[in-house]
Amino acid sequence: MKVPHFSRFIFLGIVFGVVGLAIVAQMVRIQSSSAADQLRAQSEMYQGEYRTVYPERGNIYDRWGHLLAGNETVYEIGVDLQMIGNRDADPEAIAATLASVLGTDYVTIRDAARRPYIEGQSVYAVLTDFVTPEKVDELLRIKKQYADQAANARRSKKPNPTLNALTFTPHLKRSYPEHTLASNVLGFFSYLDRDKGRGYFGVEEKYNDLLAGTPLKVYIPFDPNEAQDIPEVPPGSSLILTIDREIQTSVEKILDEALVSTGAEAGTIIVTDPKNGEILGMATTPRLDLNEYWKYAELFPNPTPYNRAVGTTYEPGSVFKVLTMASALDNGSVTPETPFLDTGVFEIGGAYVHNWDGGAWGPQDMVGCMQHSLNVCLAWVASQLGPTNFYNYLQTFGIGHTTGIDLAGEATYPIRLPGDGQWLEMDLGTNSFGQGIAVTPIQMVMAVSALANEGKMMAPHMLHAMVNNGRQYDTPPQVVGTPIKPETARTITQMLSRSLESESSDALIEGYRVAGKTGTAEIPTEYGYSSDLTNASFVGWGPIDNPRFLVYVWLERPRASIWGSVVAAPVFRDVVKSLVVLMDIPPDEIRQQLNGQ
Amino acid sequence: MTNHLIQAYRQAPWRVQLQWIGLFLLALVLVASVASIYLNVSASAAAAGREIQSLEYDKTVVEQSIADLETQLALLTSAAEMEKRAKSMGFQPPAPETVMYIVVPEYAGRQPVVMAPPPGPQVRAQQPLLRPSYTQSLLEWLFQGFISNPLSIQQVQP
Repeated sequence: MKVPHFSRFIFLGIVFGVVGLAIVAQMVRIQSSSAADQLRAQSEMYQGEYRTVYPERGNIYDRWGHLLAGNETVYEIGVDLQMIGNRDADPEAIAATLASVLGTDYVTIRDAARRPYIEGQSVYAVLTDFVTPEKVDELLRIKKQYADQAANARRSKKPNPTLNALTFTPHLKRSYPEHTLASNVLGFFSYLDRDKGRGYFGVEEKYNDLLAGTPLKVYIPFDPNEAQDIPEVPPGSSLILTIDREIQTSVEKILDEALVSTGAEAGTIIVTDPKNGEILGMATTPRLDLNEYWKYAELFPNPTPYNRAVGTTYEPGSVFKVLTMASALDNGSVTPETPFLDTGVFEIGGAYVHNWDGGAWGPQDMVGCMQHSLNVCLAWVASQLGPTNFYNYLQTFGIGHTTGIDLAGEATYPIRLPGDGQWLEMDLGTNSFGQGIAVTPIQMVMAVSALANEGKMMAPHMLHAMVNNGRQYDTPPQVVGTPIKPETARTITQMLSRSLESESSDALIEGYRVAGKTGTAEIPTEYGYSSDLTNASFVGWGPIDNPRFLVYVWLERPRASIWGSVVAAPVFRDVVKSLVVLMDIPPDEIRQQLNGQ
Repeated sequence: MTNHLIQAYRQAPWRVQLQWIGLFLLALVLVASVASIYLNVSASAAAAGREIQSLEYDKTVVEQSIADLETQLALLTSAAEMEKRAKSMGFQPPAPETVMYIVVPEYAGRQPVVMAPPPGPQVRAQQPLLRPSYTQSLLEWLFQGFISNPLSIQQVQP
């Protein structure tokens, strides 16, 4: 039986078949054409993007967890150039609004917003950055007002400008909530340079790599079907410093008051725990508000060091005598009772050494020599020790070498040694009382920590712990050396305590026995040493039966008096008065009673 | 006679047509079912992907917010601010002679802050955020299940 209209069916089948084949052929042709390659290349732009994910910079805390350096949200304000091109927003209105709210330059903003839109190349323009959330709120309010007005105007068919093209992108910037506090220790992060910002000075520079973390370049597809597991970019490590915020605040305040009362040009105070080398406070001048780090050049004109405690070497003067005496006691060259007849002059290497007052102090023992800070006596002590032993001791005390403290910019000054061609025999005499030799305050602190810690010299350090990937890694204290025996350390401590008490020093604190030594060093100039310009210092520690703190004070060119005993010793006392409260150290009598219970 | 017999057992033409139609409809339903399942899974995957993108953004915003709030809190409790507040409330810095000490048994004194546990064995290995089932195709799943690990099927048999 023949199907009716069979030929028509055949015809329709052929037509549809041909059309289908034509469609397939066209599809193949389009897919394989050169235009298809271009389209595919163009489409890749819309498939996703490679984005570099910068980890959040690690925080910096003091030893109790107070934030010293963190991050806060600010906004980048930009403009969508396509919307400007489509006349959805008005460059003039944008420029005027930003000028009124942020104080930006009208012409600069307007010209930036007028940049032509070029697809794939010029689609977005940054107008300004680091805008606070409060200012952004104000801008958003104005933007909404413009949008409302534009909506009303559309109803009445009048053109009205809008700020619709404005975009607000939040990001983090470095912030220092304590402003100038510990600024010389922290350093700063140059956050204004978002691509190449890095830490400068202090902890920010020393631990820049740890704080910054590792940026990661990732591909982020726009197609939700291809949403990928964006790898976790851990934030930079956070640092817990050994600094105690309250102690730091206190020593900075005391230093500032001392500079005013003594007329000193600059000053430095370091507070450490001699048992583990932890820096509890480090104050120096000048101090920078780290949130305005770009004022650095203004505040630190060349060659002002950023942190005098680690970056400036100076002739320390009589505080250095504690090392000379400790070396001689340890070597057995002298004992506290060794007699010495001070005639007011001592000849060494063809040079004559005189006392600070030019006088002769007659019969003395070693305690008296330290009490009256007799240069003649200490030069004699060094000669008894001999140059080889003396300089060997100085080297084991770390003099002439950096301490390795974890702060950027540590300086050192090499010491002249016998046999190196520059050393003269007279250097032994002058070096014994801290002239003709240069150290940084932190070098002195490290060396003297051996005297306060049973002969063990601890590495000074700032980092208490590091928090990385959810784990806290504590920094163990490090013994750098044992330059003297424990008995020597106890003996010199007793000697220095007695000498302070005998002279009723301004460094004494009621209820607490401390050991210490003043220093007054003449400053070398191109015309020789200047006797009316001095560096006044004091180094001391206590309580002497169980030292909890070691304090170093250095005042540069004080005007009220040139003597360390007059200007630096009271500063030490003020610091210790504050420390015993902040560190919960009871007076000796109460402490001994408590220990006896 | 033979022709008659064959004719008696042959399907009626309308039955054959019905069978073909039934088969066609069955294939159509199967294709439609597979298509709808595929569409449903694709839509779910796309929605999940979109949600992931949104959550990634939210996470970034929350992390920034946490960092910002921590800094704001530090600003409000900075040393200078706390001193100002203490003074306004009538407090004064204590002098050493005014401090009273008492013995607190077992008190070891103030200890430095501990912000995280010490290093130790990792409790949980880092897992990828997306399970493979969200990203692999049907073929990949089949290959993974039947070809790359054929023993696993035998192993579960009793």
